[in-house]
This record gives sequence, structure tokens and C-alpha cells, in this order.
Amino acid sequence: MKVFIDPPNSMILFDLVERFGHEPLSSMALIQEKVDNIEVDMPPMNVTLDDVVKGLKYAGVEVPSGIRGRLAIWGPMIEAADAAIIIDNPPFSFGCVGCDRSNELTKYLIKRRKIPTLTVQYPNDEEEAKTMVGQIRDFLGGLKQ
Amino acid sequence: MSEARVTRLLMISPDSMVTPDQLVRNVQTMAPGINVKETCYGCLAESDARTMEVVIAKVREQYRNEVFSKVRGFPVGDPRRCRAQHGTRPGFAQLEAEWATLPLIQSALDAIDAGDTDYDTPVEKKPLPVRELKQISEAFR
Repeated sequence: MKVFIDPPNSMILFDLVERFGHEPLSSMALIQEKVDNIEVDMPPMNVTLDDVVKGLKYAGVEVPSGIRGRLAIWGPMIEAADAAIIIDNPPFSFGCVGCDRSNELTKYLIKRRKIPTLTVQYPNDEEEAKTMVGQIRDFLGGLKQ
Repeated sequence: MSEARVTRLLMISPDSMVTPDQLVRNVQTMAPGINVKETCYGCLAESDARTMEVVIAKVREQYRNEVFSKVRGFPVGDPRRCRAQHGTRPGFAQLEAEWATLPLIQSALDAIDAGDTDYDTPVEKKPLPVRELKQISEAFR
């Protein structure tokens, strides 16, 4: 099953989802398409006109273009996802630090899709890490049924 | 995702005894036609999709909970990212944050592999009923 990860560039989530037998939907693969095909230097910070138009589906016209640029990449992934995993309360440098509104909108879009979603707390010690990994394993194991 | 090129970032957990040099030499021998670049945190590997599947399976088998990986959008040594050519590294803060957390994830995976399933289950959040909200509000009147 396709599992959307939030933050979409997280290596820990990408690795865990793949390790437990599912396909992670991350921003890296979509960025690769932009880098390879249209030679954009810094996606999602550099956007094309098409991205801005695509982003309008997820964020209003008054929303800053950075948010629309991000959601133009993340929005179609959320639509394609069968499930989602969200990390809550991460440190400042973890995930998309550029704009918290993008993160809020991403969580809202996931909630609106009503797909199976797991929210885990960012671990600060070994017990919390075990809880996080265990919950992800159980959640992904349950998706197979 | 493109089938012609898959670039993978392999990161060694700080608690592991494996060095980037050992990892690079090993990954290089795992499949023919793979391009590997050593980095401070592990290595970058690049090949076609099918070869990469084989390599990642072998890496997981050999370094089960010590090496973590994700797909990378930019190719290995891309001038827009490669620091040898003064490329920018906008994703480095994220990598650094995850690198610092990897020992916790490694120990958690080790514990779960060893059969330790003593952890909290997710708490399901429910909306607060209006009656309870009213009681709380009235308690502090």
C-alpha cells in the first residue's frame, strides 16, 4: 500500500515504511522528476507556472506561493495515498522548517481524505523511540489485512 | 519514479561500528553497474531501479538496523548540490536532525527484533462533548 509520510522528506519514516513492507510516498521522487525533466534548480522553492496552478487546488490564491509550491508536490501524493503516518512535536530542524502553514495544511488534507492515519510522537529517549517504532510496525502490519 | 536512475542516500547510525569507507567498499561489490560516493554520514549510491532493489535488500540483510536509507532527488555529484562545486545543501539540517535520532531508532528496532513489545498503544483523540466542555467551564466560573 502507498503510505504518505509527514514530513515528506523524512529518512526515518521512509526507511521504516519500506522496512515494514509498504511503499512510502515521499517528496524526493517527485523532486527527482523536476530535477531530471525540467531542470529546476531548487524544487519546491523554484516552481513552474503549472505548479502554482496545481497548488491552487489545495491552497487559496491569497496564500503565499511557497505554500502553493509545496502543496503542488504534496497534494497529489496525499490524494494517491492509502494511509498516512505523521510525526508530531518534532524538533525545529526536522521536516519542512520553511513554513508551518504548509505543515498545517498537509495535516488538514490528510484528515479530510479520511484514510487510516497514525500520529506518532517524535522520540526523545529509548522508550519513546520503541513506542514510535512499535506503533508504526503495528499500524503498517494492520494495513496488510 | 524514474526506472532509469535511482539515487539512494545511505546513512550509518552513530551507534554503529561501521565506517563510511567500509560501507562504500561493501556496497560497491553488491551489484555490477552501481555508482557509489562516500560521504561523511555514509554514502550515496546510484544505479537503475532493479539493481538498486538488490543492493538495498543486501544492505538491509547485512546491516539490519545500522544503516538507514531514503531516495534522493538529485543525482550523485550534481553541481547544484555537490559541495566540491559550491552547491547548496538545503536538506542538511533535516539530515543532521535525523542522524542525531538514529541511535534511538536503532535501539528500538533491536528491542523489537528481540521480541520486546512493551510499548504504549496510540491514544485515539476524540472531540470533547459539549456537556463536558460546559462542566469544565462552569467549574472555573
